[in-house]
Amino acid sequence: MTATTVRPSQTKNTVYIAIFAALIAAMGLVPPITLGIVPVPITLQTLGVMLAGAVLGPWRGAMASLVVVVLSLAGLPLLAGGRGGLGVLFGPTGGYLLGWVLGSLVIGALFKYWVIRIESKPAQIAAGLVATILGGVIVIYACGVPWTAMTTGLELKTSLVGSFAFLPGDLLKAVVATLVALTVHRSYRGLLK
Amino acid sequence: MIAAKNTSWLSRVPASWKFGSLLVISIALYLISSWPVLLVLLAASIAILATARVRLSQLRGPLTALSIILAIVFIALGLQTSWLNAAVSVTRLFTLCLLAYSVSLTTSFNAMLDLFQRVASPLRHLGANPAQIALALSMAIRFIPELRRVYSEVREAQHARGLGNNPLAVSVPLVIRALRIADETAEALDARGYDSSSVHGK
Repeated sequence: MTATTVRPSQTKNTVYIAIFAALIAAMGLVPPITLGIVPVPITLQTLGVMLAGAVLGPWRGAMASLVVVVLSLAGLPLLAGGRGGLGVLFGPTGGYLLGWVLGSLVIGALFKYWVIRIESKPAQIAAGLVATILGGVIVIYACGVPWTAMTTGLELKTSLVGSFAFLPGDLLKAVVATLVALTVHRSYRGLLK
Repeated sequence: MIAAKNTSWLSRVPASWKFGSLLVISIALYLISSWPVLLVLLAASIAILATARVRLSQLRGPLTALSIILAIVFIALGLQTSWLNAAVSVTRLFTLCLLAYSVSLTTSFNAMLDLFQRVASPLRHLGANPAQIALALSMAIRFIPELRRVYSEVREAQHARGLGNNPLAVSVPLVIRALRIADETAEALDARGYDSSSVHGK
């Protein structure tokens, strides 16, 4: 419908960054869902982080995540459970926030230069899954787990095992993010130009 | 967690000083593992928070969440290493978070945002535009309630079709409508001559 072939203006880029930052924030306000099998509440916030990268590409996606991080550090209660403020950064889970920015950067780069160029639909979905799991799960954990270990003095292994409680939810979100992003790209072309 | 008309002595200290001290103290704390010194620092941080004239209702939520995390850390660390070690680590984190709360609750949101923008201003030399950064931050805040409304609308509509719990049926229209709102806003900004290259924009 809106097949933009021209390079988007700087204003447009900024507005895209802002709306996805708001999307990530709004998803943190949705009440957490508890999956039957795991006793850990799952919030949709990292779904927003994955979508920002997959839909907007590396640069704008990372900026959208960064905006959420900056606003919550400045004091807005945007993080899941209404958390916000500097305590979040200095606490044991601060590394995951850093991971969001890097994660959406990685997902965005993989989508822009690899996933979106694949012709066959099943191969594209598989590639999208690889991208969202790599950026949205592995990169985020790789930032969050050592941070928890460092701030608490827990062994890296214990910290990693603890984070596995969130793994089923995060994998589910990777599937949803991939399918949503690919559907959006089909009806809204030129986003990753 | 924002300063709600705070009038304590801490609210008069410039945000940059508070943030800078918090950063220095946080690094120093990780270098200290002496038990008595940490206890003194914990007492000091409680004293600081107590003089910050913070309403208790503002602290209840964050303190509960923090206590749960710290309890888990304490048990895991105690079982893995020693209980003394666990106590040291938990005291350190608790002290740090109390100090961070003291800063957050005595600094207005605008002062904090100003500080971040000043910290980010060297990025100008890398091609980032401070006016665009300010625009992105303020617009993101403005968009949150709008997206909440769109989310409820989409959910209701899909519920009526029996698809309310299907994540795809809710997320796809949500993202598409978000993109459309962004397009309209960008067009409106351009039409009103918002100069995206100007530092004095907005």
